[in-house]
Amino acid sequence: MIEVHRVSKVYSVGPVKVPALREVSFRIAKGEFVVLTGASGAGKTTLLRLLYRDDLPSEGDIEVLGYDLVPMRRSQVGALRRSIGVVFQDAKLLPVRTVYENVAFVLRVLGTPRREITERVFDALRTVGMSSRAQAYPAQLSQGEAQRAALARAIVRRPPLLLADEPTGNLDESMAAEILEALKGIGSGGTTIVLATHQARLASALKRRTLTLDGGHVVKDEG
Amino acid sequence: MVGFLVGEALRDLRRAGRVAVSAIVLITLSLAALGGFWLVSSNLDRAVAQWRDRVRIVVYLKREPSSADAAALLERVRAMPGVAGVTFIGKAEALRGLKQVLGKDASVVDQLPANPLPASLEVTPSATAATPEGARELVARLAALPEADEVAGSVDWVEQLSHWQRLLATIGLGVGAVLAIAAILTVTTATTLVLHARRHETEIMRLVGASEVTIRLPLLLQGMMQGLAGAVLALGALVLTYSLVAPRLEPLVSLTLGLSQLVFFTPFGVAALLAVGTILGGLGGWLARAGREP
Repeated sequence: MIEVHRVSKVYSVGPVKVPALREVSFRIAKGEFVVLTGASGAGKTTLLRLLYRDDLPSEGDIEVLGYDLVPMRRSQVGALRRSIGVVFQDAKLLPVRTVYENVAFVLRVLGTPRREITERVFDALRTVGMSSRAQAYPAQLSQGEAQRAALARAIVRRPPLLLADEPTGNLDESMAAEILEALKGIGSGGTTIVLATHQARLASALKRRTLTLDGGHVVKDEG
Repeated sequence: MVGFLVGEALRDLRRAGRVAVSAIVLITLSLAALGGFWLVSSNLDRAVAQWRDRVRIVVYLKREPSSADAAALLERVRAMPGVAGVTFIGKAEALRGLKQVLGKDASVVDQLPANPLPASLEVTPSATAATPEGARELVARLAALPEADEVAGSVDWVEQLSHWQRLLATIGLGVGAVLAIAAILTVTTATTLVLHARRHETEIMRLVGASEVTIRLPLLLQGMMQGLAGAVLALGALVLTYSLVAPRLEPLVSLTLGLSQLVFFTPFGVAALLAVGTILGGLGGWLARAGREP
């Protein structure tokens, strides 16, 4: 499903080279729920961005869902991303659209037939416990609800891979627990999940395989 | 999918707000100017064509030839380069023509002791000779005829009219082009604002793997909508102006240019104006997109 081989990433800030990842290697099998943890700046977000080909590594190879990401042409990126759901720390909901419209937006963008959209959107909203809030606007949602709506948007296409970048970063414990429950539910349906979080307590509470990043290195792979 | 793209384009148009309105107004002005000059120019062009067809060179003869000599003369003139046709007008026929022109005062002619009008040849120049240069050469050839007393007629004034028509068309094109560039830049500005307002949508679209066409098309469409709206308004303004001005101008135009009526655009002309507006708007939308590709 995911194979990362000796991947390094160096950002250039003017003349200064800032290494974000160094010689990172790991494999994630289909259906696995993997927690990516480490302090802020450890390289978690960089690694996730490389996985959905928002950026390219400076060195190394990455294979995701059978796609070799390094030599991949720009025109092929769309096909990869149509198989990946992504959730961010800030939910990135469109403020002038309701929850329903936000979730439906990705289906409409991809040309899903109208009759399928309603059914799939409500399926996704039910999975994250948000069907009763379908007509609410993002400004009317709590942070936890907004994050669950973002989760619904990420899974509405039923992608085989879900990448979640600090989805609980802005939430209190009870809201974070709701999100993790939702993620577990999604994972139990066979979706491969990579969850990046800096909250070590939360990572250990999940009792899943955990990759720990420190200074751009994978320092621990356990569980 | 089409519904989605058009819906997004309409949403973008609303987002652009006043800038989109400015762009539409500028497109309206540029196309109204372009269309207005085009209308005037095409009517002048009709007048020029009509007058070119009516150009005649008259060769006054020293004396009236016999029928046989007249026939031979006609043959010789017909064979000259630049002659499309020639008619012989005898003295008697010329007098009858004069009486017709005089109308109720025709009796004045009867008081003349003799017919003072000369016999003449009415020469119709061919298209190649209907230019000032061609006409001058033809006049020279006709004047060289031993039977010719005097040669009258030229196409200079028709050429003058044609010159003004071309000048008007050029000015129209220039004014229209300047306004069109301003309109394109305004649409580009409006689209740039839209791009900023829809950056989250664009981000989500890229994230879920939407094709570049899906991302770009709403921007192109909203530009085209602005252009089409401007073109429709320009067309409306031209129709209104034409319906108000044409009936008042027609008597004057008939007297001076000989045109019985002023014409409006053909259906092709209307379609061309709408197409130009749509293309202008689309170009503005596309330029903004091309410049802001992340």
